[in-house]
Amino acid sequence: MAGREAVKRAVQQVRPILSVDREEARKRALNLYKAWYRQIPYIVMDYDIPMTVEQCRDKLREEFVKHRNVTDIRVIDMLVIKGQMELKESVEIWKQKGHIMRYWKESQDPKPTDFLSKFIQGVN
Amino acid sequence: MSFTQIARSCSRLAATLAPRRVASGILIQSQASRMMHRIAVPSMTSQLSQKFGVRSYSAKSTIEDIKFRVLKVVSAYDKVTAEKECRGRWQTQLVRRYSAKPPLSLKLINERVLLVLKLYDKIDPSKLNVESHFINDLGLDSLDHVEVIMAMEDEFGFEIPDSDAEKLLKPADIIKYVADKEDVYE
Repeated sequence: MAGREAVKRAVQQVRPILSVDREEARKRALNLYKAWYRQIPYIVMDYDIPMTVEQCRDKLREEFVKHRNVTDIRVIDMLVIKGQMELKESVEIWKQKGHIMRYWKESQDPKPTDFLSKFIQGVN
Repeated sequence: MSFTQIARSCSRLAATLAPRRVASGILIQSQASRMMHRIAVPSMTSQLSQKFGVRSYSAKSTIEDIKFRVLKVVSAYDKVTAEKECRGRWQTQLVRRYSAKPPLSLKLINERVLLVLKLYDKIDPSKLNVESHFINDLGLDSLDHVEVIMAMEDEFGFEIPDSDAEKLLKPADIIKYVADKEDVYE
């Protein structure tokens, strides 16, 4: 009896967020990439950021490649939804210039690695 | 200045003249000439003066006279633009027919597809041929593949839906797909 319970729990289906299989999730991700890729020239123009379209496309690819090892369909869906939200915010100019420039993390200091600078900054 | 505007200014001129019919001719003439100047555009003044001679208004001229003269000028103005056609011809030169596309052939599609791929910086032009697989042979990833398909959309000016895009894995596939879409055959 207990064995059957365990098997049942192991094969239990999780409820999908959007996609039911990997192929669909992949399609959604590529679609999002396409939408961003097409929108980038307009974003550069609208926000007047000091970046070229090519730099922005490199950054876009970087953001996608960052999550290349994600295999969970639900996680992929969630990331796609977040990406869509960001795209919507950029398109509707709900963001400001600084929000766009934040993708490059220019004003963010790199985390200290050696002991003394960690000690001085008070992080371990 | 349109015809109606001119006509309206004429009637206004007539209305101002009406109570002062007995006033000195000089006043009327100066006023009339000012109005005439408004009617005639500068480029045409020489032509008009040539045509109508020196205008001299006497105090005796009635409203009908003035109206007649002004209407004559107006009609002459209309005739000049219609006859000379300078504006009309200038417009016809600017008209372009955007509906027509240059004719495509399979060879031309082939060349254009390969040119786009050669110009794409992640593809090695020496490895490229019509039958090379984008992902296996040319070493592109899926994001690059999406970019290639988008470049093809831009090149041929129509949208490739995602369901079709994932099947276009070789330049030959793209050429065949574009030829199907554009109704090009041997």
